[in-house]
Amino acid sequence: MIWQAEERLRRPIPQDPVTRPGGDGDGPNKPDVKRPDTNELLKRMRRIDPEQARRYRQRSGE
Amino acid sequence: MNPSLILGVQRGESGYNKPVNRLVGIETEYGLYVEGRSVSDQVMDAVAFLRSCPFPAVKHWDYRLEDPRRDMRGFRVDHLTVDPNDAQIEREHPVSLSEREVRSDHVLPNGARFYNDHAHPEYATPECRRLLDLIAYDKAGERIVQACAEAFANRTRYAVRLYKNNTDLHGSSYGCHESYLLQREVSFDLLAMTMVPFLTTRLLYAGAGKAGVEVNPHPRVPYQISQRADFYMDIMNVETLYRRPIFNTRDEPHAKMRHYRRLHVICGDANMSEYATALKVGTTALVLDLLEDGWYNTTVLRDPVRIAQSLSRDPDGKWLVDTDTGVVSAIDIQRQYLHEAQKRFVGRDAETDWLLNEWQTVLDTLETEPEQLADRLDWVAKRQLLNLYVESEGLSWDDPVIQALDLAYHHIDPAEGLYYALVEQAQMQTLVSENAIAVAMEQPPQDTRACIRGLCVQRFASQVETLNWERIILRNDDQTVRLDLSRLVEGDLRPLCLRLTEAPDLTTFVKLIQEATR
Repeated sequence: MIWQAEERLRRPIPQDPVTRPGGDGDGPNKPDVKRPDTNELLKRMRRIDPEQARRYRQRSGE
Repeated sequence: MNPSLILGVQRGESGYNKPVNRLVGIETEYGLYVEGRSVSDQVMDAVAFLRSCPFPAVKHWDYRLEDPRRDMRGFRVDHLTVDPNDAQIEREHPVSLSEREVRSDHVLPNGARFYNDHAHPEYATPECRRLLDLIAYDKAGERIVQACAEAFANRTRYAVRLYKNNTDLHGSSYGCHESYLLQREVSFDLLAMTMVPFLTTRLLYAGAGKAGVEVNPHPRVPYQISQRADFYMDIMNVETLYRRPIFNTRDEPHAKMRHYRRLHVICGDANMSEYATALKVGTTALVLDLLEDGWYNTTVLRDPVRIAQSLSRDPDGKWLVDTDTGVVSAIDIQRQYLHEAQKRFVGRDAETDWLLNEWQTVLDTLETEPEQLADRLDWVAKRQLLNLYVESEGLSWDDPVIQALDLAYHHIDPAEGLYYALVEQAQMQTLVSENAIAVAMEQPPQDTRACIRGLCVQRFASQVETLNWERIILRNDDQTVRLDLSRLVEGDLRPLCLRLTEAPDLTTFVKLIQEATR
């Protein structure tokens, strides 16, 4: 059985010509990236131990 | 799970997507933090970590075919240089285990290798032929390593965190390497001429971002694009532990030496973003396609190491670089490769077209509004996160918490890591589903020789004497059987793998492989 996976690309392959960013107007467009729920992100970030990077030491690898 | 499940859309033989057109793999050394333990304990901690692995595995890796000191330029070095700080730790804290015990090799049912490399748990994906398979197997590695972390914590009562990054932010680096099989007829000179400018400028979209500077910190910058660029010391050499190059010249194809090379890329960052991984590997594979198609680059960068470091340390810059023909934009260097690839490969298959479009979009957007790439590129996403915190808490970028947050971006525990906080909120584009990742944790790719390795682990583990990338040695009815996989590197192996899956016993299994390799 071969799996016809529906998730080959969750982001659809672009079918249309790629639009150049920045638009054709006088100035750069406002970024259209959705704003995250900053409260949730900040909550998780505030849980991070601020000393963690100071304590984090590793052997050198490849 | 049906063992013949295979990731990806099947379009029949003629429509088989093959955007990477070659065997590719990613090997990631993970940062290992065990609460209350020091760096001098890290080798033993890594051994204990590997011993906690809850997955079935064959543990007899065959090192006899490895030759990491062989250089593509036609010589072999006497030894590989070791990081002096690391050598000192080794002298002061010797480990009493054998080399094999320290390595703690595991070959997993999905065909991956999982072991302890220089005190870092390292997961090497099975060989893949398709980009999205590679992404799924790379993410499967994160899930496997995290499952080991949970097993280790339960067994030892130590809290443990694993980071998919490349630095401890205090000057010690560890790698995320990529492997690409290519035809040996591509000469070393053309390969190096073409890859050095490409790899030097690729960091603009492949960088994972880093707070601060670790080596030669002048100019001091609060944030840079690449984790790894600080550690480049040479344009090219065979080293991996110290004096790390942009272009690694190790000549170890893990396939027939007469016919193949392996491009061993060690200058890249470990990406959390699936999109960044796909773009990084996909574009590199396309450049190799160009070389195999007869094209090569002629632009020469003046001092690529300095260029890489200055690009990395100037995330808001114009990214101008010195070349033999004058000053040009690093984005335009990338565009030279892109335009050649568009001319030759557009329309080849759906994934190649996706890759060409995304490559162009990313280069254009980097040039105009890089912040729009926060849902795709790690360095942009992380910078936005850190900036949010700086502004919200009224901190400076020098505050120690910034590096703690940098580290947390790479924490692979989905409940804790900051990259996963963005994924949870659908702020990062993902390319493969959790279902595909779950399959990749258990089953090998069905179209490469990794399928044979994975099936041996699943079905004949007790009869495997040793194995590695290109050979499996089995005991069958008191006879030693050597399966040479070094030729099974081209073409779609799905039909063979299907027959192997259905083989009733080891004798039939072996016969099928011997027929395929005859």
